[in-house]
Amino acid sequence: MSDGVVDLSLIDLALVYGLVLFVAGLARWNGIGQERDLLWSSLRMIAQLLTVGYLLKTVFSLASPVPVLLILLVMGGFAVHAVGARVQERMPRFHRVVGISLFIGCFGATFFFCTLVIGLTPWYDPRYLIPLAGMIIGNSMTGASLAAERLAAEMKERRLEIETSLCLGANARQASAEAVRGAFRAALIPSINAMAAMGIVFLPGMMTGQILSGTEPLLAVRYQIAIMCVITASVAVTTFLILIFGRRGFFTRAHQLRLDNFTK
Amino acid sequence: MMKGVGESLALEDVRKTRRDPEGNPVEILRGINLVVPAGSLTVVVGPSGGGKSTLLRLLNRLEDPDGGRILLAGVDIASLDPLALRRRVAAVPQVPFMYDGSVLANLQRPFVFRNLPQPSADSVETRRVLDLCRLPAELLPRQARSLSVGQQQRLALARALLLEPGVLLLDEPTSALDPPTADQLGQSLRDIRRERGLTLLMLTHDLRLARRVADRAAFLESGRILEEGAAADFFENPRADALRRFLSAPEAAHE
Repeated sequence: MSDGVVDLSLIDLALVYGLVLFVAGLARWNGIGQERDLLWSSLRMIAQLLTVGYLLKTVFSLASPVPVLLILLVMGGFAVHAVGARVQERMPRFHRVVGISLFIGCFGATFFFCTLVIGLTPWYDPRYLIPLAGMIIGNSMTGASLAAERLAAEMKERRLEIETSLCLGANARQASAEAVRGAFRAALIPSINAMAAMGIVFLPGMMTGQILSGTEPLLAVRYQIAIMCVITASVAVTTFLILIFGRRGFFTRAHQLRLDNFTK
Repeated sequence: MMKGVGESLALEDVRKTRRDPEGNPVEILRGINLVVPAGSLTVVVGPSGGGKSTLLRLLNRLEDPDGGRILLAGVDIASLDPLALRRRVAAVPQVPFMYDGSVLANLQRPFVFRNLPQPSADSVETRRVLDLCRLPAELLPRQARSLSVGQQQRLALARALLLEPGVLLLDEPTSALDPPTADQLGQSLRDIRRERGLTLLMLTHDLRLARRVADRAAFLESGRILEEGAAADFFENPRADALRRFLSAPEAAHE
């Protein structure tokens, strides 16, 4: 590791975990509750992070693209599943639309950044590829959920507007333009807010992590700016594709709004 | 003034089935046969839930029937491009939707959708349609959503007319209007018909309006046409018991 990093031993870790135990004990003693959840979630965190740590250590040492791609694939699959679990009102052909859109958006943004911009060697270098792709997929997943959720809601809320437009000669694309715009806006708001607040309201995690591990602050800032741009692009592309593919599912080929498709 | 050309509509054994929330099929229209002659003003009356609105949605292909045929000037509308069909068959929904923007922008919207040159505020055609719908030209720059419901209803009518359709479908045009405003709308409909020669098909609960303006009428209940004919005969000598009951107490039949 880099020179400036202070080692954290298991004893140090035990001391820190003592804080959680202390807080849990305090909660118990005062009868304000939550101590079970506190302990359970802290244990889950330890187990999950240790697993990830060992997994990454193994993958780093293997120096082969196969496990790296496998991990990315699992992350992507999990993202599609998570979007499906979060969205109540599903559009037609939900999983296919979300899967394809996430894949194109995230793969495109990650490839652009890792290969064309920073030029990783080897191209699959897991130290960069896994955390960067993780951030890109995670943010795109949030955008995808918002877009899918809002699109279905907008289609429902704007039914009168959409059908009035159809009656007046609009095609499906024209009739649903406002609905798509509303959904796009909703999906991009988190990225826009995050960019606007960055550095003032909070110091972003990746930058903080790089600084802690000894990276020169200005370089860490550059990385943060780059990753935010890439994330925003990925979110926008994913969302845009979901809306464009998704919108079709709400109409028949005869420019009719499907009434039976507002289902789970 | 240019005269539009009304087109005829004919429905042959038209059927439509929907699913209720539990997924069971519900027959909304059970074999509708109806002729709407070119240039006529035909009203369809009947209790709520009888299938009137569904019937109207089939005529400009907002939905397609599950059985039977609908002919526009003798041609099955299933074979027509829906966007071209909706230019010939204009529909005004029961609740008028106004786009954000001025009255003029609302009148121009259908031209934007179709990529046609937009009529200007002082074009002869715009003025004529406003006159027919009894909307003063001073309203043109106003925000359309600030108009009264009655004015919005008439603006929706004007917006549909400006494209010179051959058939105009009206869903309960007076449902939100008080009697004097409804009478004005009835007068507009008669003027429109006289001047444009177009075919009008109107769904309504408003028997007063129906008697005043219609020359043909049909009674739709539980997905079937129980009686149809010339308006005078229809209203004065109803044969079907259900229609007689409906004409004497239409409000009771709503439930």
